[in-house]
Amino acid sequence: MKISGKWIFTLLLTIFSVSLVFYFNPGGPLRILGNLLTFAGIYALAAIGLNVHFGMTGLLNFGHASFMGVGAYVTLLLVPHAAGREGEISENGLPFLSALLIGIVAAALFGLLLGLPAIRLRGDYLAIVTIAAAEIFRLLVRDLESITGGVYGIINFSSALQKYRPLFFDEFITELELAPAQIWVGLLSWVSIFFTLILIKRLNQSPWGRALRAVREDEDAVRALGKNAVWLKLQSFMLGAGIAGLAGVFLAFNYGSVQTTLFVPLLTFYVWAIMILGGVGSLTGPIFGSIIFWAIISETDKLAALIFENADGQQLAGVRFALVGLLIMILMIFRPSGLLGKKEELLLNVK
Amino acid sequence: MIEQLGNGLLLGIIISVASVALSLLYSVTRIVNFAHGEIIALGAIVTLFFSSPVDSRIIYLDRFSPLGMDFILSAIIAVLICGAFGGLLEILLFRPLRKAEVGNIAVLVVTIGLSIFLRHLYLIFATGRVQNFPLELERRQTYWFIDMTPRNFKVLIVGLIVMIIVGILLTFTRIGKAMRAVRDSNELASISGVNSDNIILFTWISSSMLAGLAGIFQATINDVRYNMGFLILLLIFAGTVLGGIGTSFGAMVGGLLIGIFVQVSVALPFMEGHTEAKNGVALAIMILILLFRPQGIFGQKERIS
Repeated sequence: MKISGKWIFTLLLTIFSVSLVFYFNPGGPLRILGNLLTFAGIYALAAIGLNVHFGMTGLLNFGHASFMGVGAYVTLLLVPHAAGREGEISENGLPFLSALLIGIVAAALFGLLLGLPAIRLRGDYLAIVTIAAAEIFRLLVRDLESITGGVYGIINFSSALQKYRPLFFDEFITELELAPAQIWVGLLSWVSIFFTLILIKRLNQSPWGRALRAVREDEDAVRALGKNAVWLKLQSFMLGAGIAGLAGVFLAFNYGSVQTTLFVPLLTFYVWAIMILGGVGSLTGPIFGSIIFWAIISETDKLAALIFENADGQQLAGVRFALVGLLIMILMIFRPSGLLGKKEELLLNVK
Repeated sequence: MIEQLGNGLLLGIIISVASVALSLLYSVTRIVNFAHGEIIALGAIVTLFFSSPVDSRIIYLDRFSPLGMDFILSAIIAVLICGAFGGLLEILLFRPLRKAEVGNIAVLVVTIGLSIFLRHLYLIFATGRVQNFPLELERRQTYWFIDMTPRNFKVLIVGLIVMIIVGILLTFTRIGKAMRAVRDSNELASISGVNSDNIILFTWISSSMLAGLAGIFQATINDVRYNMGFLILLLIFAGTVLGGIGTSFGAMVGGLLIGIFVQVSVALPFMEGHTEAKNGVALAIMILILLFRPQGIFGQKERIS
């Protein structure tokens, strides 16, 4: 990895945004930081999945929230949980790891199901279809109250993951005055990022990864060379969806409960903002993008409270979302390749 | 089922007006405008800002408001403001992007960013509460075979008249012809002496005015919310796709059909107790159309894969 200007800039920006947290929270920065890094890890994982779609293959996926949702819902419904209004805890369920694997596979299969018909569509049409499919998924989950708990969602599933938390970890984290349950989820998501990145790095250097990038650059050329471009795109769609599913599971365990409102289109746009900020097509970009994004976002509330006196909580949250929108716009206009991406590797025109 | 037809027509006319606007913009500029919904919401919010008396309003900019102007006048001002806003968007944002030859996908992502940005500006300044126009409640009456309030019936009639006017403008006037010319080929239109920049500006303005009008309709029939445009945006896409992307007349019919589908589907036997999922029906229709007849009902065949 050669050290270049954009790397130095990215590292400095990351350090700066994390130091913002220390500056604004002189009382207990560690607690805020733990929360921030947990969210950053989960969203970085989701952004890595999206980067497989958009960065590596050039697929315009705006239904990322549904892949995260499928992963989360399938996993949670398989482990012991309580769903719905008067939800009783169903004691018998699979162990976490096997449920997680099924959840990831389910997310990947949902990617296949959505991709099979949609992947042939041109970029902007694919965007509309994926966002619509994600909304259908959300409406269906909300509608099937007997299984998914509908608007009441699923609760009481946390112990499925938390019971694997080692004792020394608890003692260590409590000593730091942090919430062990959240840090455990955060830690696992960062470990997952590590292994996912190794996997993607290897895939990227394999003939498969080269073929995928070739699809992004010139699909017709790939076809002419006898590769099945549609199948390659589908494989990429499934891989990214599976990673998103994993991120969705961690997101659910971080909240401790899951409702359909979690998987609204805004979640997708958050992940998009992180991916673009970090760098489209860059391997480690989403990590830095996510940390910077969450550090800045988590501190905007305090700034907003200063600017808009007598605004309620929802309005203050609006400031943060408006900032996300502005960030997406400005990045896409002035630096579409983000912090660590390569401009020449970016697919920006509908073919 | 028949009692849902009235609701269907009302939703249909909203989506129809908004779809025509979206389709017009797409056909001339090739921009899939995800911020369309926010212009719709702008129409409703500006109308509320001007028309509502101070005690029922909860807008952040209270002290600048003219306190309860005449409703029709407020609506007209709102439509004009929406048009001006659309024109500003073109001049300040999308024209520079076009001149810099920014790719279509980048512009699409920009409109998504714009949509999120505007929507939450509304949340900050118009609050997250559900609000209503200062209009009296009316009793439903029967017109032919459909039940609706006189005001909603007026909305339906105004909507239909607006569509007819748009249709006439597009078909018979010079500017309509010029728009179609720019749609077919920007370069060829320029060679023939059409100022394509002006035509695109005009398209933005008229599209935004129609969107604002749709927002006022939507708020008159239902209510004002900061995210009302985004909630209906996917239905508008569905209407546009069903009619055929880029065809104005297709969008009119497609929007009307989607509205009726959504409301009538509530009365279908298998939808009983699942009324919340009714929008899913329209979205499923849209996906099916895109897969099997991507040019829609009225569209020309075009390569979209």
